[in-house]
Amino acid sequence: MISLSDFKHDHQKSSIAISVKDLGLVYKTSIDKKPTLKARIKSLGRGKKYTRLVNALDNVSLDVHYGSVLGVIGSNGAGKSTLMRVISGIIPPTTGRVDVYGSVSTLLALGVGFNPSMTGRENVYLGGLAAGMTESEIDQSFDAIAEFSELGEAIDAPMRTYSSGMFARLAFSVAAVVEPDILIIDEALSTGDAKFKEKSLNRVKELRSADRALILVSHALATIEDVCNEVIWLNKGKLMARGNPAEVIAEYQKFMNVRKSASSDEDV
Amino acid sequence: MSEPLVTHLPFKAGLPPMGRYMRSLIKRRAFISEFARSELRGQNYGSVFGQLWLVLNPLLLSGVYFLLIFVIGGSSDATRFAHLTASLFLFYLVANSLTGGVKAITSGQRLILNTSFPRIMLPLSAVVISFLKFVPTLIVAFVIHIILGLPFSWQMLWAIPVLAIALLLATGLAILFSCINVYFRDISSMLPYMTRSLLYLSPVLYEASSVSESIKKFEIANPLFYLLDAWSQVMVYAEAPTLFSMLHALAFASGIFIIGTYFFLSRERDFAVRL
Repeated sequence: MISLSDFKHDHQKSSIAISVKDLGLVYKTSIDKKPTLKARIKSLGRGKKYTRLVNALDNVSLDVHYGSVLGVIGSNGAGKSTLMRVISGIIPPTTGRVDVYGSVSTLLALGVGFNPSMTGRENVYLGGLAAGMTESEIDQSFDAIAEFSELGEAIDAPMRTYSSGMFARLAFSVAAVVEPDILIIDEALSTGDAKFKEKSLNRVKELRSADRALILVSHALATIEDVCNEVIWLNKGKLMARGNPAEVIAEYQKFMNVRKSASSDEDV
Repeated sequence: MSEPLVTHLPFKAGLPPMGRYMRSLIKRRAFISEFARSELRGQNYGSVFGQLWLVLNPLLLSGVYFLLIFVIGGSSDATRFAHLTASLFLFYLVANSLTGGVKAITSGQRLILNTSFPRIMLPLSAVVISFLKFVPTLIVAFVIHIILGLPFSWQMLWAIPVLAIALLLATGLAILFSCINVYFRDISSMLPYMTRSLLYLSPVLYEASSVSESIKKFEIANPLFYLLDAWSQVMVYAEAPTLFSMLHALAFASGIFIIGTYFFLSRERDFAVRL
């Protein structure tokens, strides 16, 4: 539960930012989707018959160092977002441990905390506070956020009048001003039109610095190769490969071609 | 290698490091009020009267009971009307916290799955929303008090500790039920019947003094009975509440708050996998 401005340390390049050891996550899901009292009573005395175990992460170990940008690739359901949630402390692991050596900010979904009946301006505050910023930090950053979003006067219109592109632009702009020690971005770069995508990517490149660690989850392999200096590939919760972006991506693409299907093509 | 700032280990029911948790909660207090304000605005968004509904609701509610007592009932008992409205408003503070709090976690799925923050902020926001709805009712209750020509005295300052106890109870209930609802979703469906029963078992539609001694023995188990009695004494009769009423209300409110908070904090890391 570390807030963004709680800790701002000077980190030496190559010093460790995140250490993940033997991480495992098993979901226990019941056949009944909602854990109602009725479902509980029905399953009483029936043992494990009505539960299913899902291995979301299987013995994953990795280190992330300051000054590095780690790309995370893999097909849908590979465990990428789950790994990010465990690293950021949102979901507890079933086995293993995660040691974090700095403040973490997550951009796992855009517009978290936004209320569509409020104006863009009010949502900048709401979204910023949800991300762990203080009111004074948002005050200081407000002009930069509004300018980055390119919304102009629409910033004072209710967000329910926004197009999905406008919504995404404002949401990314709020997140883009945060400057934590460790930043985790999950599929947030493919928002808005081509111009805004490029702008978002440039912002991420600006955030690369020796005393910051970035983790980027994306299906956009060209972006990963362009921005990251290290890549991991996850498949069905297992760490398949880790290393040079071009090599890991090539290996992943080869694997995807071998197991060719409509859905896997879409990912690549 | 330096010490890690934070370590994430497998879930084990138990309290988090309280110092760090409280610091994080205090630091994010602005989010609680902003979130509550936005939810409240969202509820009245698009209506003609907008936020004016915060005052219109208690006015219309007291109008309905005016119709019931004075017009249909033919009564001219001003204190009965004042008791009913004042007690109903405090009852709704607790009941709204409970009904808002019960789904605070399950409906906050998007926030919980994508952001790390003290989860207790969500049921706390539900209590803040109820309190923001309660404040205008307090003004309406005072206006009714003046119109009916009921007495005023310094004893009415007892309203502050009574209200503080009511808020403690409302917070405890919101926290406890939000947590229970993660594990047993049925509780949210049962809640309307529970609150309705609580309304009839509490001295709102009647006064505590009119309840027979044999029934009162059972009311010792009702966390709201003596709290509402104390509120009525202070707000309607401008008299100090009895010591027993205050102690009974405080004991229940503290007990529910402590149990609810412990239950919630020791399990909140588990919420994300259960949503």
